Amino acid sequence: MRIGIVCPYSFDIPGGVQFHVRDLAEVLIQRGHEISVLAPADDDTPLPPYVVSAGRAIPVRYNGSVARLNFGPMTNARVNGWLDRGRFDLIHIHEPITPSVGSLALWAAECPIVATFHTSNLRSRAMQVSYPFFRPSLEKILGRIAVSEDARRTVTTHFGGEPVVIPNGVFVERFASAEIRPEWQGTPERPTIAFLGRMGEPRKGMPVLAAALPEILRAVPGLRVLVAGPGDPADVTAGMEAQAARACEFLGPVSDADKASLLRSVDLYIAPNTGGESFGIILIEAMAAGVAVLASDIPAFVRVLDGGRAGATFANEDAADLARQVVALVQDPQARAAIAAAGRARADVFDWDVVVDQILLVYETVVEGAEASRSVTGPPRGVRRLRRSSRSMP
Amino acid sequence: MSSLEWSVVVILALVLVAWYLSYNAARLDRLHARAEGTLAALDAQLVRRAEATLELANSGAVDAASALILASAASESLAASEFADADAAAQRFGPDRGSVESDLTEALDRVLTPEVVADIRDNGDAFDDVALERVRATGQRVQLARRFHNDAVVDVRAVRRKRAVRLFRLAGHAAMPQTVDFDDALPTGVRG
Repeated sequence: MRIGIVCPYSFDIPGGVQFHVRDLAEVLIQRGHEISVLAPADDDTPLPPYVVSAGRAIPVRYNGSVARLNFGPMTNARVNGWLDRGRFDLIHIHEPITPSVGSLALWAAECPIVATFHTSNLRSRAMQVSYPFFRPSLEKILGRIAVSEDARRTVTTHFGGEPVVIPNGVFVERFASAEIRPEWQGTPERPTIAFLGRMGEPRKGMPVLAAALPEILRAVPGLRVLVAGPGDPADVTAGMEAQAARACEFLGPVSDADKASLLRSVDLYIAPNTGGESFGIILIEAMAAGVAVLASDIPAFVRVLDGGRAGATFANEDAADLARQVVALVQDPQARAAIAAAGRARADVFDWDVVVDQILLVYETVVEGAEASRSVTGPPRGVRRLRRSSRSMP
Repeated sequence: MSSLEWSVVVILALVLVAWYLSYNAARLDRLHARAEGTLAALDAQLVRRAEATLELANSGAVDAASALILASAASESLAASEFADADAAAQRFGPDRGSVESDLTEALDRVLTPEVVADIRDNGDAFDDVALERVRATGQRVQLARRFHNDAVVDVRAVRRKRAVRLFRLAGHAAMPQTVDFDDALPTGVRG
């Protein structure tokens, strides 16, 4: 199939949606499909050959955070040109209600449209304002996908209908066969636990782990905490007991390969996120790497961990419970191995090979429905002309 | 205002109303076409599922009694589809059709237990595996097609509820599309 994929967020900076789009495009190309991705990007950003830049993205405050988006008449012209040249059998728009290339493509496209909804925290006031405006174009979407149960509920609440839940994919093999680094491996005296993510962002849960650390170190004095991700270590260690501060080793931002190696080398992966997560792809990456996962019991994580069968959970924001569980798991290699094995099996559900089959099934069903509606007698010419003009209205 | 200015205002208002109405008529038209298309796609997927079931029944992969149960449920489904084709498009999916399809779902679920599926995968030949896989894949497609159709119906009905659409009868004589409800769960044995 000739498939066009639209990503609303700039390829200049890394992000969950961008990675998802990139991986999906690469897997589809491997399966022999013709793929073109349209996304905002700076002129000098190196892009994979299948990505077409929709122009420079501008930082805008939208839906409660600053996103780098792309809009305006120039962008609109680029979107139309991309659609005309692409002659796609189908386009797949990610986050269609983000005011960026996605909503422009939604207005302009005449081919069958599939859309994936990633976010679960839509502000309802923003939705109420923009809904009457977005609504007619959303009606053009023939197949709706939500990446998680939370995202599904958001779509059902705001737009009605029942999107299909297809999770984000992970290249399980890349994590399962990552190189083990001796310097990150734990020993019985000096076990290692890992934290990944922006340490300065409280909802990633570093403060909870920091609060639990003194208690953990009383039971396991030799424990090493490997912290990977952007942020200032001084913010974390400020106000910490000296022993706790010494236990933390800051690796800074790590490459994809180092992330996989880190997860594969350590004894325990901790995800103390306090909320705002819709999915938790990092948990799946950890499970794929074969490390035991201990995560806060927020709904998205519990679902990914198959109700707690594929990983251990602790009461969200409860440092005492976190400390108890870390100590128990660090001291019990057998329990850890059992959790890791269950997690490794669970990760296969999210392997790209499985996920892309489900997405292709959606594509095929949608194309079939679109062909059937085209064969239904078309509207009179006047209506068609009118439709064209009304489409180019906003 | 002078009478000239008044008439300009009135004409502008009329143009605006006319534009709004024709815009919604075109939108409805598109939505109806979408719902009809998704319904036709659902019908096609149901036929494929029934054919795949018949194939599995005839492949010898399951015992004779199971084969008979599958074949009878599948042929009911095929007959219902043929009957529907002769009918008007809007009537294609009455409650009878739904119960026939639920029956087929149930028959598949009863026959394809985890034990039977494991047996086919371990001991059956390549053709049996292919037949089983086709039943699973067509079942998945039925689920998607039904969902996408119901999404389309929800969208049409939302627009048809608008006061202007009802007042000016913008939907014309098009029948109000109905959501399609039947049990389309995959047989327990082949669920992922």
